[in-house]
Amino acid sequence: MTNDIAISVRDLGKRYRRGAKSRNHDSLRDVIQDGVMSLMRGGDAERKAQDYFWALREANFDIRRGENVGIIGLNGAGKSTLLKILSRIVTPTAGSADITGRLGALLEVGTGFHQELTGRENTFLYGSILGMTRAEVARKFDAIVDFAEIGDFIDTPVKRYSSGMYVRLAFAVAAHLDPDILLLDEVLAVGDFAFQRKCMNFARSLEQKGSTILFVSHNMFSIKTMCQRVIYLKRGQIVFDGPTDEGLRLYENDSRLQQAPWFQDESGKPSIAITDVTLRDEKGNETGVVDFGKRMSIRIGYKAFRPIERPDFRVGINRSDEVHCATFSSTADKFEIPMIEGEGSIELKTPPVRLVSDLYTMNIVVRDRGFGRILCAQIGGSFHVRHPVFASNAFGVFHESAEWRAHETASAPQRAEAGP
Amino acid sequence: MSDVAFDTAAARAEAAHHEVTHIRPDRGWLDLDLAAVWRYRELLLVLIMRDIQVLYKQAALGAAWAILQPLFAVVIFTVIFGYFVKMPSDGIPYPIFAFAAVLPWTYFAEATRRSATGMVDDAELVRKVYFPRLIMPLAKVCGPLLDFSIAFVVLLIMMLCYGIMPSWKMIVVPPLVILAGLLALSVGLWLGPINVRFRDIKHTVPFMLQIGMYAAPIVYPLSRVPEEWRTLYSLNPMVGVIDGFRWAVFGRGELNLEAIGLSCIVILVLLAGGLVFFRRMERSFADVI
Repeated sequence: MTNDIAISVRDLGKRYRRGAKSRNHDSLRDVIQDGVMSLMRGGDAERKAQDYFWALREANFDIRRGENVGIIGLNGAGKSTLLKILSRIVTPTAGSADITGRLGALLEVGTGFHQELTGRENTFLYGSILGMTRAEVARKFDAIVDFAEIGDFIDTPVKRYSSGMYVRLAFAVAAHLDPDILLLDEVLAVGDFAFQRKCMNFARSLEQKGSTILFVSHNMFSIKTMCQRVIYLKRGQIVFDGPTDEGLRLYENDSRLQQAPWFQDESGKPSIAITDVTLRDEKGNETGVVDFGKRMSIRIGYKAFRPIERPDFRVGINRSDEVHCATFSSTADKFEIPMIEGEGSIELKTPPVRLVSDLYTMNIVVRDRGFGRILCAQIGGSFHVRHPVFASNAFGVFHESAEWRAHETASAPQRAEAGP
Repeated sequence: MSDVAFDTAAARAEAAHHEVTHIRPDRGWLDLDLAAVWRYRELLLVLIMRDIQVLYKQAALGAAWAILQPLFAVVIFTVIFGYFVKMPSDGIPYPIFAFAAVLPWTYFAEATRRSATGMVDDAELVRKVYFPRLIMPLAKVCGPLLDFSIAFVVLLIMMLCYGIMPSWKMIVVPPLVILAGLLALSVGLWLGPINVRFRDIKHTVPFMLQIGMYAAPIVYPLSRVPEEWRTLYSLNPMVGVIDGFRWAVFGRGELNLEAIGLSCIVILVLLAGGLVFFRRMERSFADVI
C-alpha cells in the first residue's frame, strides 16, 4: 500500500564542488584571480571533473509511516546532506524524494534564536521558523514553558540565559511542533542528563503516536534504543539498510582504526599510524566481550614513519553514549618508552574491569614526548562488558562493591513493614 | 508525556494524506512558486517584527533614529544647498523641499541595503532551516516601512509649521511608497544572490546608493535637468517616485505621469528578471553561504 510510505527516495544524489566552501565565500578578486589562472593553464575538462564530488549518491529507500530509522556513518559520509535534502534546505543534483505528511526538521537546536529578544519573543520566532502558525504557538505556549523548565525567565532576553536554559527552551519549542515526520540531527545530545532523558522520553512518545523519525547520530546508544532500522552511509553511498544490530556491527567493524572524528592532523604528513588493535581476555584468547572484574590485555600495533622520542601511548575507553569513562596512559603509569621507529607493538594489561554492562569503544592516542602534541588518534574497536547485575548505564559508570553495615537503633519496632 | 498536547493518530494520518512534498533537482525557469511564499506569510510577519524589535532594542534612542536620520540629512542639505549654493527649489521652502525627497529616498536606500545583504546576515537560518528564500528580501523591504511612517508624521508636522496644508493629493503617497519598495525588492533580488557568493556587494551597495542619491532630484528640482535629457534621466525609477512625492506634498503643477510611467516599466522589468534570477540562484544558497 503506497499510502503507508512516509518518505520515498529514488536515486537521490548531491554533487558539490570540491573546496567550494572555502572559495566561493571570499571576494570577487579571488574569483577573477582563479579565472585568469585557469585560463593560463588552459581549461582542461579532466581537471574540472575532479573538482566535483558526490556527497550523496544514488540513495534509494522507503520509510513507512511510524518507522524510526537511524542514519549512521563516519563524518563526511553524507548523513547531514541527506537530512538537508529531505528538509529542502539544499536542492538535490539528481533523483527525487517524496514526502507525505507534515515534516519537521531539527538540524540544530535554536537556529534562529535572537540574542536580544526575550524567551517569549524567541518562542514565537522559533516556532514560526520551524513552521508553526502564531496561533499554534500561542495555544501551546504554556506547555512549552513548562517543558523547558525556565519559569520566570521567559521574559528575560535569551542572551542572559545559561546555555542549558537556552537549549531547553529551543528544544521545548521544537518538541511541540508535532510533525508527522521528524528529522533529527544529533540534537538529542544536548542539555544535562535529566533533560536528555526527557528528550528521549519525548521521542519515544512521538513514536507511540505513529510519527516517523529519521535520526542522525554518532551516539550508538541512542540509535540502539530508538531505532529498529538503520541506514549506514559510507562515502555518500548506502552500504547497509536493515536491522539495527546488524548495521551497528558492520559500522563498528568499519570504524576500527579509523581516525577519531575529533582529530585533525595539521602537520601534513603523519608521524605514526596504529595498524592493529587486539583485545584478549585473561586466558589469552581474542575476544569482544569482557566479564566484569576480569583483566584484559590490549595490544597496539603501530608503524612510526620517523623516530619518535618518549612517546605517550594512551587508551581511552568511551561508553556507547560517548561518555569518556577511563584513560590508560603509559607516561602516567611511568612506563618509559625511550624511542620508537618502524613497526612494533605495545601491550597493556588493565586492572580488573569495573565498568558496568554496555558497549565501549577504545580510542588510541599517541602523543609526542610525554604530554606533547597529539601525533595520531584512532578508533581501536569496541567491546562489551558483561556485568551480572548492573546491565545498563542507569547504574552509573562503574561498580565497586562497598562495605555495608547496619546499626540497630533502640526504638523502631513498627518499621519492619514500612515500605512504598 | 502528559504536558504535550497531540492530535489523535487518526487525525494525523488523515492530515498526512493532504500534504505531499516533492523534492526534485531541477525546476523550470518560470516556476516561481509564489504560493509557497503565501503559505509562509506568518514567518514573513514574524521576521519583520523581529528586525524591528531587535533594531530598537539595541539602540538607546530607539525609534528616535527613524526621525533623526532623515532630519540630519535635511539639515545638512539645507545648510549646504539651501544657504551656500542657493539651489532653486521651485519656490518651496528648502528644508521641506529636501525633506519631501529625503523621506522616500531614505526608505528606498535602507530597504535596498537590507534586502541585498539580509540573506547573508541571516546565513545561519539559510543553512539550517527551510523556508521560501523570497521571504527574506520581502521581509527586509517591509521592515523600514515603520521608520518611514514615523518620519512621515514628522513631515506632516513640519508642513503645518510652514503653513502648507496637506491636500487630497496625498493619496498618491502609498502607491509611490509601494513603487519604491518594489524597486528596492528588485535590486535586492538581483544583488542578494550575488552577495551570497561574493561579499563585495555589501561594500558596493552604500557606494552605489550614494551615487544614486545625486542621480535623483533630491537636493535639486527636476526642473533643473535640461529638457532634452529628462526622459533619459527619468529612467532612474526613483525620479518618478520622488517627483511624485513632492507633488503630493506641495501640489504644484501636474503630476509627472511620464516619469512615473517610466518608473513603473523599469521596475516591472527589473522585478520580473529579479524574480527569475533569484529563484534560479536560491537553490545553491545553502551550499555556498
